Amino acid sequence: MKKLYAFVLGILLMPCLARAENPAIEFVHNTADMVINDILIADVSREEKLERFRTEFTQALDLKNIGQFVLGVYWRKATAEEKEDFLKAFMDLTTKTWADRFDMYHGQKIIFTGARNAEGNQLYVDSTIQNNPPVEVIWRLKQKGDGYRIIDIIIEGVSMAMSYRNEYSAFLQNHGGQVRELIEELQTKEKQFVWSADKK
Amino acid sequence: MKFIRLLILGLVLLGSVSGCATRPTNPEDLAVYQQNNDPLEPMNRAIFRFNNVADEYVMAPAVKGYRSVLPETARECVGNFFSNLKQPLYFINAVLQGDFKSAATITGRFALNTVFGFFGVVDTASANEVPVIRRDFGQTLAVWGIKNSGPYLMLPLLGPSTVRDTAGLVVDAFADPVDWVLYDQSPWLAYGRGVVDGFLGLERAHDLMDDMKKNSTDYYATMRSMYQQNRKKEIAVLRGEKEEMKAEYDFDFPDDEDEE
Repeated sequence: MKKLYAFVLGILLMPCLARAENPAIEFVHNTADMVINDILIADVSREEKLERFRTEFTQALDLKNIGQFVLGVYWRKATAEEKEDFLKAFMDLTTKTWADRFDMYHGQKIIFTGARNAEGNQLYVDSTIQNNPPVEVIWRLKQKGDGYRIIDIIIEGVSMAMSYRNEYSAFLQNHGGQVRELIEELQTKEKQFVWSADKK
Repeated sequence: MKFIRLLILGLVLLGSVSGCATRPTNPEDLAVYQQNNDPLEPMNRAIFRFNNVADEYVMAPAVKGYRSVLPETARECVGNFFSNLKQPLYFINAVLQGDFKSAATITGRFALNTVFGFFGVVDTASANEVPVIRRDFGQTLAVWGIKNSGPYLMLPLLGPSTVRDTAGLVVDAFADPVDWVLYDQSPWLAYGRGVVDGFLGLERAHDLMDDMKKNSTDYYATMRSMYQQNRKKEIAVLRGEKEEMKAEYDFDFPDDEDEE
């Protein structure tokens, strides 16, 4: 009899178990898996990795929202053309920066620990990178249609969006608020970029 | 210890010479100014420039030399040995913070590595999954109720800090039990250890600093932002207000134009 109960209970619970993984966690999990398997540990050229990374970035991030946030008050003052150029320059340098940082990845595991609702249509997915001491990574997502987009990654309390925002507002304050100058600086940085692995 | 006294004197002098940043009047700039918490920015930037020159001509070549002379495993052993000597100080701070669980973990780590790790050269504790815990007096002050970190400070050679963390640094420099033991033998042993510790810390931070310098359009601002955010989180966790911090963190997305 006990066995029967267990069996019935098991059948009733099955759909719940299948959906136990929160869709937001699943989204980040899949994105992280894809980045690790198809890019970080894939045996392809650096150019190919960068290209794949760019594609993944464009799909997973809400670039416009991020651009808007990191430029802060300057976004409203920028012309449509400046906004477009800024997003492109920001994207170009950021993909290289992160591809370069991920070069140092050596197989640490990411464990997803949960998801929490934030204000409005936003939510956080919590994760930990196994290390000693462990590294806490929080993914800030925004619901978009029936999917999600990443709008921020917070590593040990350091929000990437906030860091870029502080950086750019300092740069712009020292350059008369000229977004054009920031775009040119980002382009210069991207052109002069040296891969860490090549320097050693 | 003399160095620290000189440092404070130097900071005071520099502060009086280079003066404060002007407080902006328009509300948008004022919000940024307040968030940066850096009224001494002109002085800090001057010190930062000095640090960068020192880094370029002294520290970076030293790090490069060190890395080319010693293989990675040997460098790890050196790092392990010196970080093991830090554990008594971390223990004291954990106790002062009332965090006896961490104090016990730190004791376990110190005992394991000292006895079974050839005086700390091998990190046996980490191999046995004993977590790394660092506790400084700046944190202790925060746990004791000094919630406000005070303005951001860029210290000569030592890097980013705040008024509260600098006070913590001074207390830690005087309170370190290992230094007392070394000082008893010869003051130079204690000073030497300080220099090595400083160098090893820099060596650890070197790649991150290189990365920031390469990618940032304002290296100073990026370092300030990252330091402040990271330290704020660390202290919020110790004060047991982690959730509170995240609620406060809700930054505004100015005019959401998505649906246009």
